[in-house]
Amino acid sequence: MLLTARGITKTFPGVIALNDVSFDLQAGEIHALCGENGAGKSTLIKLLSGLHPYGSYEGELLVDGHIAQFHGIADAGRAGLAVIYQELALIEEMSVAENIFLGAAPRRGPFVDWSKLHHDARALLQRFGVGTDPAAPIGRLGVGEKQLVEIVKALAKNSRILILDEPTAALAEHEVQTLLGILRDLRARGLSCIYISHRLDEVFALADRITVLRDGATIWTKPSAETNKAEVIRAMVGREIKDLFPPKKSAPRDANDAALQVDGLTVADPHTGQTRLHDISFAVAPGEVLGLGGLMGAGRTELLMHLFGAWGERRTGRVELNGRELPPLEPHEILLRGLALVSEDRRRYGLVLPETIGFNLSLSSLRGLVKHGLVDHGKEFQKNDRAFRSLRVKAPGLEATVGKLSGGNQQKVVLGKALMTEPSVVFLDEPTRGIDVGAKHEIYEIIRQLTGAGKAVVLVSSELPELMGLSDRILMLHEGRIGGEFSGATATQERLLTAAMGQAIA
Amino acid sequence: MTSRLSLRDFSLALALVVLCAFFAVRVPGWAFLSARNLSLLMIDFSVTATLAIGMLLVILPGHIDLSAGSGVGLIGGIAAVLVTQQEWPAPLAMLTALVIALGLWWAMGSFIVRQRVPAFIVTLGGLLFFKGEFWSVIKSHTVPIVAGGKQNLYSLITTYYLPPAAGYVLAALIVAGLIFGSLRSRAARRQYGFQVDDAEVCFLKLFLAAQIVFLFVIVTNQFRGVPLPALILGAVALAVWVITQHTPFGRYLYAIGGNEEAAVISGIPVARVTTGAFILMGAIVALTGFMQTAYGGSSTTTVGELMELDAVAACVIGGVSLKGGRGTVLGVLCGALIMACLVNGMQLLAVEPALKLKARGAVLILAVWMDVRFGRGS
Repeated sequence: MLLTARGITKTFPGVIALNDVSFDLQAGEIHALCGENGAGKSTLIKLLSGLHPYGSYEGELLVDGHIAQFHGIADAGRAGLAVIYQELALIEEMSVAENIFLGAAPRRGPFVDWSKLHHDARALLQRFGVGTDPAAPIGRLGVGEKQLVEIVKALAKNSRILILDEPTAALAEHEVQTLLGILRDLRARGLSCIYISHRLDEVFALADRITVLRDGATIWTKPSAETNKAEVIRAMVGREIKDLFPPKKSAPRDANDAALQVDGLTVADPHTGQTRLHDISFAVAPGEVLGLGGLMGAGRTELLMHLFGAWGERRTGRVELNGRELPPLEPHEILLRGLALVSEDRRRYGLVLPETIGFNLSLSSLRGLVKHGLVDHGKEFQKNDRAFRSLRVKAPGLEATVGKLSGGNQQKVVLGKALMTEPSVVFLDEPTRGIDVGAKHEIYEIIRQLTGAGKAVVLVSSELPELMGLSDRILMLHEGRIGGEFSGATATQERLLTAAMGQAIA
Repeated sequence: MTSRLSLRDFSLALALVVLCAFFAVRVPGWAFLSARNLSLLMIDFSVTATLAIGMLLVILPGHIDLSAGSGVGLIGGIAAVLVTQQEWPAPLAMLTALVIALGLWWAMGSFIVRQRVPAFIVTLGGLLFFKGEFWSVIKSHTVPIVAGGKQNLYSLITTYYLPPAAGYVLAALIVAGLIFGSLRSRAARRQYGFQVDDAEVCFLKLFLAAQIVFLFVIVTNQFRGVPLPALILGAVALAVWVITQHTPFGRYLYAIGGNEEAAVISGIPVARVTTGAFILMGAIVALTGFMQTAYGGSSTTTVGELMELDAVAACVIGGVSLKGGRGTVLGVLCGALIMACLVNGMQLLAVEPALKLKARGAVLILAVWMDVRFGRGS
């Protein structure tokens, strides 16, 4: 056996990321890893590649039957493992050849031997059937070609095991076929590959065996010939929705008087100019929770950030907020119109970490707390104190530094900040990511209170049970398009996941 | 944002005392502590501190202004040329120069935030551009600020001193204001259930502040009285303290410097606020320009040279983080006092200019190093 992981358990403070996971890889095998977002795939990869070093986990890792002690990426690299990440680690300004031999360029004395570098690069590219010009700068290549260069770069280091994390997420169909062809070719030469993808079509077209992870545990490993897509999806979803979600308090009002109405929205990435959201239409009524699901990179966060004025160039489409047209404005103008956003990355987009809880809470609503041009500290305190108490933030007081709070309490502060602007529509992007179950439940309660007070909520979540437990309706996004809409009765985890993967709904 | 007595404040005070003691002993004839010298030191300090307080406004949202020193020369020079060569009335000339400063800093500020060119580069370009413009405005000559022997508003900046009695009244008013303000904020904080200093500590702080204020007035009264630049500094410091601690604008400066992306998502008009900080900086540069030029009696090519670095050093010594988001007016005042004492003391010791430059450079690096090494989390 080339690679074996036995009984791996990895915990983070408050979370068990991997629980007794076992996994193995034979020489010349492509082994697919399947699982929902947060199932533990990334943690497992980080462990295999040395990012979570030896000693930070329980269980053992064997390469060629010997226990491997990776203390960093370099150790894993020496053992022949190479990870091709979703975010490519190429230097845009350098040529293909320079990237392939980055840090290992052939030398003549103290100087780089440029002719040998280009010659070797060309030979490597040809050997693996990649038709890219070794002198071309990386920045000019498409995503697909970059992916191939990344793979050739790994092979140049004599890697025996390639780990590909969602390699096709950003690729066009013909590029996917090229990639799959090259991977099959490499397998024929005896290379092994761990392949992670949400696209089950590819998994079944490529993999020899499939392992399904769920909630940090291995569910099963089967040869792909002995299973099918439906069984894989069932295994990925698996669990029951427990009693975690508080019941709805009020029925949503008539959808005719929508709080937020979006028609035919098409949005391009401002940096690449590529269209990322295609023809999105939906409406949210006051008192309603609209769930927004989809796989990583489907465009959920981009949709929210765009409507909030923080991302993207609008190509077409019309947005109405409380019956009034909402043109593309800046976030501070949109906030004044009654739309608030709680971002998925609270440390980056949510909080001023060195400041106090009070500072952060009142930050968005400070305009309304002014008397004679100065901040009315008494009024500010009252409002902050009310939010602090009603959200049950666990901290010594308003003057505690926000950066020192736990994730759940930080999230409550971000929520409080958004709610203190008294919005009519609230966007919640992954509001429970990385927080413990107790705090999750409290956030669910807050969402119920919001809808009870007649606010419209758009909820993005990667956890299907959470989406189903909280939403009145669910939209699934797939590659920037609406892949399906489900009401409470028609939403099952299988159907949602199927829509998220862009499969026809059975 | 809250001010609590920390190790950092303590070491700052200690450094100041050691520095003063050193010069007091080393300068022959106790000249460092003479009323005349302390009065001059106070003017030096006022000019440095005013510019440093402006620098605070720009550094808080994470930028920097390297053009401030050149701007001081340019704006002072424009006013001088208008007064003596165009024979404008001094108030109109100074107002015009001020408006020009506001325009220039507005342009730099909006270029920095809208075009996303680092402030370091834009203001470095400004440093050169303003210096060139300055030299062509005064034609590299010496331009007096007032036509032969007369007086105008411009020259009053250095020749006017508050009458001794008025000085004491002012000191009494300031101390009364301090007591009233701190008692009120103490009562409010207690009502909110926030931490407050012990009564003794509070009293001690007020007592110390009152002593400093009265000592300052007594000493300056022994020479000519409270100099006008000190009053200008007082007004600027009070205004910027109110802006940073008691207005949404000031809160936004801290938020932008602390986490710009979060500030955007929190609905802060980041571009407008940052440009506003630069415009305020323009006004302060103009004030400093008038003071510094008037101090020399005329506009010459070297006015304002390297003042931006003293201002940055004063900020960093006073606990302002160059990454933005941290710093107070009081800290900057302390930092500027240290810088002013250092420069003044070296002057009295007749330290040669080459060594003076090196000493200022060493202090600047030392201050930033201390900020990087020990500044985190305070």
